[in-house]
Amino acid sequence: MIDINAVISMMMNNQVDIPLLQPLLKPMLEMPLVGYLIALVLWKPFFVLILMPGFATLGIMLLILPWIERKMVGRMQWRVGPREISPHTRGIIQLLADSLRFLFQEVIIHKDAHRSYFLQFPFLYFIPVLLPLLFINAGTAGNPLVPIVSDYGLQLMVALICLMPVFILGVGWASNNRFAFIGTVREAFLYFAYEIPFIIVVLAMIVLYGTSNTVGVVNAQSGVWWGIIQNPLAALTFFIAMVMATARLPFEIPEADQEVSFGPFVEYSGIAFGLAYVMGYEKMYVLSALMTMLFLGGGSGPVIPGLGELSYAIWFVLKTLIVLVVMANLRGVYPRYRLDQALKIGWGAMLILALVAVAWSLVMGVIL
Amino acid sequence: MKKVATPEYDIKDKLKYHVSALSTAAKEVVMPLNITTHYPRERRKWPDCFRGYILFDPERCISCFECSFVCPANAIWMKEAPSGRYYPTLDYGKCIFCHFCVDSCPGGALRSTKIHDVAYKNMDEMFTHTEEMIEPPEIIREDEGYVEYEIDKEDLTLKRTKGKDKLIVDVAPSQGVPMVSLCIDRGSCIACKVCEKVCESGAVSSLLDEAKMIIKMKIDSEKCTGCGLCVKECSMQILRLVRRE
Ligand code: SF4
Ligand code: SF4
Ligand code: SF4
Repeated sequence: MIDINAVISMMMNNQVDIPLLQPLLKPMLEMPLVGYLIALVLWKPFFVLILMPGFATLGIMLLILPWIERKMVGRMQWRVGPREISPHTRGIIQLLADSLRFLFQEVIIHKDAHRSYFLQFPFLYFIPVLLPLLFINAGTAGNPLVPIVSDYGLQLMVALICLMPVFILGVGWASNNRFAFIGTVREAFLYFAYEIPFIIVVLAMIVLYGTSNTVGVVNAQSGVWWGIIQNPLAALTFFIAMVMATARLPFEIPEADQEVSFGPFVEYSGIAFGLAYVMGYEKMYVLSALMTMLFLGGGSGPVIPGLGELSYAIWFVLKTLIVLVVMANLRGVYPRYRLDQALKIGWGAMLILALVAVAWSLVMGVIL
Repeated sequence: MKKVATPEYDIKDKLKYHVSALSTAAKEVVMPLNITTHYPRERRKWPDCFRGYILFDPERCISCFECSFVCPANAIWMKEAPSGRYYPTLDYGKCIFCHFCVDSCPGGALRSTKIHDVAYKNMDEMFTHTEEMIEPPEIIREDEGYVEYEIDKEDLTLKRTKGKDKLIVDVAPSQGVPMVSLCIDRGSCIACKVCEKVCESGAVSSLLDEAKMIIKMKIDSEKCTGCGLCVKECSMQILRLVRRE
């Protein structure tokens, strides 16, 4: 039998401190059931994992990021982007409308598809997406906001992120369609091309910070000594690897609409397509959060008065959003590479850059 | 054989092009050069010579068949009206909007409009009868302004004006040149009466000359509209269209 009071007091000792809400929360915390609920919500691990920058923020991002992307890329290309739905808000609820449409559309599973895998993989994809968030540190130096403190946090995150393409391969295999196969094979090719520089770059940062604990990683970036300033080469390589990993233009090779019509996801329809469609954005979000933590100082930023520790989380989400927007907008700038060109970049320039980044880290480690 | 080599860039060029591409994109995000027309809330202002929906004025039609002869898409069929005259019908399922018919109409009975957004429920409806060509189709106008594209030194800009653009062009239809049919070689006439049968205006008549036991054809130049059908049909090719004096 778990002692409920002990659990509550454990939660109470580890609360997100928001001075502005304090007078409001105090009487509520004393109420029996509501108090427990609030204690749970404001319990740091829960808050980070479920609210900010975890699951809820991911959900909101999935709703507005495609809108931001479409709007900004539209402006780049002299168009207007989504507008007809709620024109006064410039079409911000477009994705909500899209998901409603997905919900009411028939999900067609063609008879050659592997029925159960076909339906399961888009759902199972949430596992490698959400688990890395367990180790994310949205706090600042000395003020961690992290669900699980682990000395192997970074390695675990990278391992889980490297699992994601396996699900996409599964989706392509279960679809049993020629376009899906071509897209899947392309994804597999790209997977090896970016994964190795990606892992080496994370290694470079572990060498530089001297720890793979996510709390230590953010602690090592105090003040303006963000990772991107300590090792810009690693940041650049990480960014390119990230764009490749999420199959965004200019590396949108597995999904290339004009060539293989959305590649692995070509057979999806209805809400299953909705889930497959956001898979890329989920991965983008997790990788951007990792980049924010590794290179952009986590949640460091001026404290917003009255928000206390919440302001760190807000800064973290803002930085993540900026990375996301930059990444999404590459679509309006670059055309698509051919597969061989992308492989050449992955196995050539990026690998060299990653190795140089490791050397840089070693040198920096000696100097500092 | 001469081969065109791919251009060589060094790393400096590459960096320069990357920066220029990214900065152009950033500039467009901040100050976009939008060229989208928000149809149907606003319309593009087309020039008056726009080749759109075709209107027909039966008063001016001389039933010359010219429009149906010239139509490259075979979209115009002549249909007999209760009065016995033939008027054009137009199948928009076939029409390619070349407006050869409008240009060739001697009486100026066909005219162009700027209407380009007509919707039909099915293919049969696209066959437009003569009566339906007289009035413009019903249009629900939601537009509050019109848009003109202007090309300045390097970029395209939009000029938006409030108010509705007139879709029916005011340009007067061509008056044409009044023609009349004339027989140039009466001696060759074999009195086959084809011209009499073909004339819709009743301008050709035949009378029997009892004394000489021959049939004489007569074209009444007052009644003749100059449609040229008899000229086309005449078996001896002795009829000509000439300018009316
Ligand atoms: S516009 Fe051209 S295609 Fe259309 S009816 Fe006239 S002649 Fe025929
Ligand atoms: S060309 Fe003009 S005048 Fe001649 S039949 Fe056609 S509409 Fe009538
Ligand atoms: S006489 Fe010939 S040209 Fe004149 S209206 Fe009759 S058919 Fe036409």
